[in-house]
Amino acid sequence: MRSKAIAVLLLLMSTLPMPAQYQQAMSGYRYEFPRDHFDHPDYRTEWWYYTGNLKAADGHRFGFELTFFRQGVDRSSQQAGDWAVRDVYLAHLALSDIDGGHFYHTERLNRAGPGLAGASPEQQRVWNGNWRVQWIGGHQQLQAITADYTLHLTMTSRKPPVIHGRNGISQKGAGEDNASHYISFTRLLTSGEIELNGKTYTVEGTSWMDHEFFSSGLDHDEVGWDWLSLQLADNTELMLYRLRHKDGSVDPYSSGTYVDANGKSTFLGARDFSMAPTGETYASPAMKAIYPIAWKVAIPSLRLELQLKTPLASQELTSGASAGLSYWEGAIDINGTRGGTAITGVGYLEMTGYAQPMTLEPK
Amino acid sequence: MMSRLRVFYRLIVRPLYREPARTLLTVLAVALGVAVVLAIELAGDAAAGSFRSSIETLTGSANLEVTAVGGVPDNVVATLATLPYPIKVEPRIDDFATIPSTGQSIPLVGLDLIADHPEGFSLPEEERAGTSSLAQTLTADNVWVSSRLGAKPGDTLRLLINDEVHPYTVRGVLKDSGDTGGLVLMDIGTAQRALNRANRVDRILITVSATPSLEQWEQRLRSVLPAGVELRRQGSESSENRKMLSAFRWNLRILSYVALVVGAFLIFNTISVSVVRRRPEIGIARALGASRTAVLSAFLGEAACFGAVGGLIGIFLGRLLAIGAVRLLGATVDNLYVSSTPAPIQLTPLVILLGLAIGVAVSLASAASPAREASLVSPVEAMARGEREYTTRVHKIRDLWIGFALAIAGAAASFAAAIAGKPFFGYAAALLFIAASAFSIPALVSGLTKISSGMLLRIGGVEAMLASRSLASSLRRTSVLVGALATAIAMTTSVGIMVGSFRQTVQVWMNNQLKADLFVAPATNPSADRHPTIDVSLSEKLAALPGVAGVDRFREYEVSYQGLPAILGVGDTLGPHPLGKVEFFSGRSTEQVNHELRDGDNVIISEPLANKHHLRTGESIVLPLGDAQVRFRIIDIFYDYGTEKGFMIIDRTRALRYLHDPAVSNLAIYVAPGADVEKVRKELESVAAGHNLVIYTNRSLRAQAIQIFDRTFAITYALEVVAVIVAVIGIAGAMLALVIDRRRELGLLRFLGAAVSQIRKLILVEAGLIGLLANIAGLALGIVLSLLLIFVINKQSFGWTIRFHWPIAVLLGALTLVYVATVLAGFYPARVATSLNPIEVVHEE
Repeated sequence: MRSKAIAVLLLLMSTLPMPAQYQQAMSGYRYEFPRDHFDHPDYRTEWWYYTGNLKAADGHRFGFELTFFRQGVDRSSQQAGDWAVRDVYLAHLALSDIDGGHFYHTERLNRAGPGLAGASPEQQRVWNGNWRVQWIGGHQQLQAITADYTLHLTMTSRKPPVIHGRNGISQKGAGEDNASHYISFTRLLTSGEIELNGKTYTVEGTSWMDHEFFSSGLDHDEVGWDWLSLQLADNTELMLYRLRHKDGSVDPYSSGTYVDANGKSTFLGARDFSMAPTGETYASPAMKAIYPIAWKVAIPSLRLELQLKTPLASQELTSGASAGLSYWEGAIDINGTRGGTAITGVGYLEMTGYAQPMTLEPK
Repeated sequence: MMSRLRVFYRLIVRPLYREPARTLLTVLAVALGVAVVLAIELAGDAAAGSFRSSIETLTGSANLEVTAVGGVPDNVVATLATLPYPIKVEPRIDDFATIPSTGQSIPLVGLDLIADHPEGFSLPEEERAGTSSLAQTLTADNVWVSSRLGAKPGDTLRLLINDEVHPYTVRGVLKDSGDTGGLVLMDIGTAQRALNRANRVDRILITVSATPSLEQWEQRLRSVLPAGVELRRQGSESSENRKMLSAFRWNLRILSYVALVVGAFLIFNTISVSVVRRRPEIGIARALGASRTAVLSAFLGEAACFGAVGGLIGIFLGRLLAIGAVRLLGATVDNLYVSSTPAPIQLTPLVILLGLAIGVAVSLASAASPAREASLVSPVEAMARGEREYTTRVHKIRDLWIGFALAIAGAAASFAAAIAGKPFFGYAAALLFIAASAFSIPALVSGLTKISSGMLLRIGGVEAMLASRSLASSLRRTSVLVGALATAIAMTTSVGIMVGSFRQTVQVWMNNQLKADLFVAPATNPSADRHPTIDVSLSEKLAALPGVAGVDRFREYEVSYQGLPAILGVGDTLGPHPLGKVEFFSGRSTEQVNHELRDGDNVIISEPLANKHHLRTGESIVLPLGDAQVRFRIIDIFYDYGTEKGFMIIDRTRALRYLHDPAVSNLAIYVAPGADVEKVRKELESVAAGHNLVIYTNRSLRAQAIQIFDRTFAITYALEVVAVIVAVIGIAGAMLALVIDRRRELGLLRFLGAAVSQIRKLILVEAGLIGLLANIAGLALGIVLSLLLIFVINKQSFGWTIRFHWPIAVLLGALTLVYVATVLAGFYPARVATSLNPIEVVHEE
């Protein structure tokens, strides 16, 4: 019931004409941290994605995803009172019990109300109900509570934030108004506790945070995207995405970023890398979608050749009746070579638009 | 040896078959008694049981709730929603809206529709394809209504909320959840705007997991909540209301039992008469070998049959009566206690069983003594010829002593305290007094008839004297008849005196209290637990009018005190007549008390509240207000008849420190000396244009209050009428028996030359005498019972001081009516008596 409404809500928003009251992501934007880690109500859509690979002391592996979405509804709402709706806040939480072979996910929707959800620079937190990330000093403390599982994690960034794209914007298609501001923490050292089915695991690992804000929508002939965050054992990271067309072709605005061990980032254009499925697929029982769950990535300029595989095939997040908001987002393992030398790593893979054309904008 | 079945046939079935009219009347008396009890039970369940639904609509699985006087601050919702516990938090607005065109009042519920949707919530297809976003649809001035309201998606629904009418668009139809009286659902933001609940919600529902225990959850949650809000179990408001209503329902129940007592008297009489009349048959049966137990069980069997058949008819009749009773009771519950819509009447198997059980049990109990007497008839005695008259073995004097002892016991019981807020000893005292009067009646009848027979001869001639003698000679039967009728009359009189005194008390109180010339209130339906508000700025505008000398503002909040509902009143203590003219226990003037009210955290409380919670002047009550628990000292107690829940009143300026909403519930307006009230009223109306208000003049407010009062007590009048009908039916039946029984005597009289008119007169005078005796006994008993009702039962149940008052007109009217009814009840028997063929009757000898 609840999730159905959420899906319908988001479906509708993507069809909204671009209201004049929102600002476009423009090149030359001057980033200010930590202010820019929090909300940008001038832009219609904003999200904070936390994903990570964690391991308990006994070797038990977990993956997690906690996403906060903010979608502008009516910035200039004249309604009085705490409950007037200017934005809606959606959140997705998923826990991949890799060794247990189980995937858990939950979603929730709120308005800001009297403090139910938000992303406040004053309070130094991004939250939706009792799911939140609180900034304390240089640390980000993540808390997420459900009836079945809870996460309490402390994340500390090893590197400064990365600004993707060129000139402060990440271009998503042709035209000035088709871009976003896109910031990442590519290596968050993470430790904390996961409680699952009454058992508490003390875990450690690495996480990734994506923060993006923009006002444009997905181009009409784009159906979805495949996105990768890769954390390699040599302390380097890669972010890559490709935008898919209805006819199966890949959009020339697909791009990526390479972050070296010192935190220096390099932009990767569509011609700088290749990413392609290797044939292994997963058919989701809920949405009847076929997801390619094994990938091959090559970046000639970095002499990188990587094979990506997931340790848990069933990492699809479904959103009630709306296929448009179902996607696969899960932990992956990396094996490959850099200049002929073997290299490993972990990462996260997101695949959208396989069940139905994706209705949220690309990231 | 006669088989039991044969005994039953001979002694019971045959005689019954021969006298269908009398059989029918007896059964009818039982049926009416059962019907009244069932009707009250059914109607009570439907009317009083239903209020739970509107409060508990769409509460889902919530097991705890947070409330506060004047609403829970919004930020508490956020505090709870961000706690690191897997709990569900649902803020909620609960109020009422009125449909202006019909005056129908419907529960209005505001929920966070973005976060969650109640079961059965849906959006029309076109909403999804529209250009405006769903979030806007959910939170604009849109409503979802229950199917009962008959509105379709797209319709415009105009709703009167507080003092203003707003148009809303119906976006969807919700399935009716059984017994609710309709529902309007809107987003919490929309509801907050409509009701001017500035950043406050009425309740926060919380669903917690089964572990840890609810107590532990309460402890955890309480530690993060501000002091001024209350955490309690979901549904406690309903259970508090139920608790409060139970005293009211008990009183009604007891009242309905009186009809049953009257019925029992009549069964007793019928069986007694049967036994006497069938002595020869009993004798024959005994001579033919029927055992004593066979005779006993035959008569008990007869009673059981009366009970069962009467019970069955009573169930049917009770179901019919309940329809009317629900309407009356619903109004009472609405006016006195809590907004409600009567639920459908449910005739459950349990109720049917109860009806049958009551019918049979009452019949068996009343038949026990006469049936035993029948079993003692010896074959020889019964078969002796000529032994056909009563043997009046009535021990008048012994009975009088028993009656006296019972009355003493009754008086003692009336001094006992209430049990759990219910005057069970008071009820017992009432029963003891009724029993006492029953035992005293033989002495009364014989005494009075002896004294009056000479007088009757002079006034009514020889027929009157004969009638009087006949009554005295069949003392036992006469006593039972008089007893039954007297009980019904006593009930009527006592309730009449109680209600009349109450009415008078309320009137005097209103005359003293209501000093203002005009009263202004929102135009929503009046109800005991709704306190719609008026914009406070209006009071300033009104005060500035030239003809207005002053305006007193009063605000009411529904609160819970010590597990029972109460009303917190917030009033101006300055002004021409602040709080009207209140009469205090201490005898102090309103000005003195007002001065003290302003001085500190002081409170005055009404008498029912003081009685309910055993509070006295000088003690303290602690109220959670806003962000704090505030301790108020009780500086005085005042008489109040406005609400049974009880009032606690604090000063407005002081209250606004804790409760920040300045809106008012009603205004009292004082017109300047010399100004024309009508003219001022017109001006008020023009200033208040755009607000939906009612303006009462002093006189019309009082009239309205008395009208509500009368509507409230309509159910008691209805009950009395039924009891009297039962009694009169009984009298008719008994008179008929009397006539049939005395056919020989009457035939002889006719044979000896008595005219038909004389026989008719004889019977009618007998009926009249019974009526008169019953009136005397009933009035005496009624006065005793009315004292009991006023000073014990009512005081313990509701806590009101009622000043005793003689409602002469009502009493005279009622007594005359009963008297006339009794005489009328004699007409049919009189016709039977006059149609006897004297030759045939004498021939039987």
